[in-house]
Amino acid sequence: MALPHLLIVDDSVLVTGALRLLFEESGYRVTVAGNVTSAIESGSRDPADIMLLDLTLPDGDGLAVIDSLRERSAQPRATVALTGHDDDAVRQRCMAAGCADVLIKPVPVSELLARVRSL
Amino acid sequence: MNATESAASYDPRAADPRAAELEAELNEARRELAEMHSRDALKTQFLSNISHDLRTPLTAIITHAEILRDGILGPIPDRQRDSVSGIIAGGRQLLDMVSEILTYAKSSANRLRVVPTEFKLRDVIKEVVSINESLAARRAVTFTAEVSDTLPVLRADREKVTHILNNLIGNAIDFTRRGGNVWVKTWHAEDGGQPVHFVEVGDDGIGIASEHQELVFDEFAQVDSSASRQHHGTGLGLTIARRLVELHGGRIWLESEVGTGARFFFTIPDGAPSSTHR
Repeated sequence: MALPHLLIVDDSVLVTGALRLLFEESGYRVTVAGNVTSAIESGSRDPADIMLLDLTLPDGDGLAVIDSLRERSAQPRATVALTGHDDDAVRQRCMAAGCADVLIKPVPVSELLARVRSL
Repeated sequence: MNATESAASYDPRAADPRAAELEAELNEARRELAEMHSRDALKTQFLSNISHDLRTPLTAIITHAEILRDGILGPIPDRQRDSVSGIIAGGRQLLDMVSEILTYAKSSANRLRVVPTEFKLRDVIKEVVSINESLAARRAVTFTAEVSDTLPVLRADREKVTHILNNLIGNAIDFTRRGGNVWVKTWHAEDGGQPVHFVEVGDDGIGIASEHQELVFDEFAQVDSSASRQHHGTGLGLTIARRLVELHGGRIWLESEVGTGARFFFTIPDGAPSSTHR
């Protein structure tokens, strides 16, 4: 059986490095994108099952990736937004954009794994 | 044109040579003030940027350490796990401090907004109590919450109310001796003709002298400089609490005597102003 495919979108290689390690060791195939443009390009070419999405990206708002992938019929089964700080306004915006969940970085790894596995 | 050329226009600079000098000084003072404001705004922006940027490497450090601790890369011996747990605890404490500086910078730049939802204060207090119970236990401080069952639903920014409570309770636990008491009480009443939730966070710790009571809400103030060595934190906790209370249209104050402890009070009006820029 093919491994579940996870697309991690975050502009920090330090963060994506840690998350890649975590999920590859936990049985996922991982693709990483560092900005909106490459997330849309990568997500359309090789659609993911789950997307972990940082909101503040160098070329724009992370939530734009969700709409663009939907337009290309390449949306992941579920998207989890990762944000820097707890803020109700951000949370409401993510839920309105169709995110399954909004988690505050750094998410404890046990919680992040459990959350992604439940999707 | 000057005063000698036209009787219709009166030029004070001609009437009194000191006037021109004073006007020049006033203009210079205005220019300096504007420059100070602009430097202050730049400093706030720098604080905001740096605290945001500090979070990224900290996130990586904590995540890698948790991967090791949780045995994702294979089992590790207990003593190594203890050491890695220390990295995580230190990292999370540093992260909390960085977040506090970020909140402070945002409030200084008027970038905090109230995003109201409806909730019960009782639920928030339960959460905050459970977060702070282990800290209280480590310091052998007895921590009690007395929350009325009949409080009406509160419409306010839940995350910010949680933040206010966490800062006041953390502060109370920090400044209470081993074996001391910290308590939270809430009730509902009118304040200046407006229905509000009252909250009291009290302790029987070291107390605050009357001449220092206004000072504790000021930026970076810790009444005794040795306090910052004994007690963790940025010195911003009470400043931020005051700003978040005022953002909701409430007020915050304290009653204290040295040696008998301190009681902090704040109010949150039942219907907080929506999306108010401060």
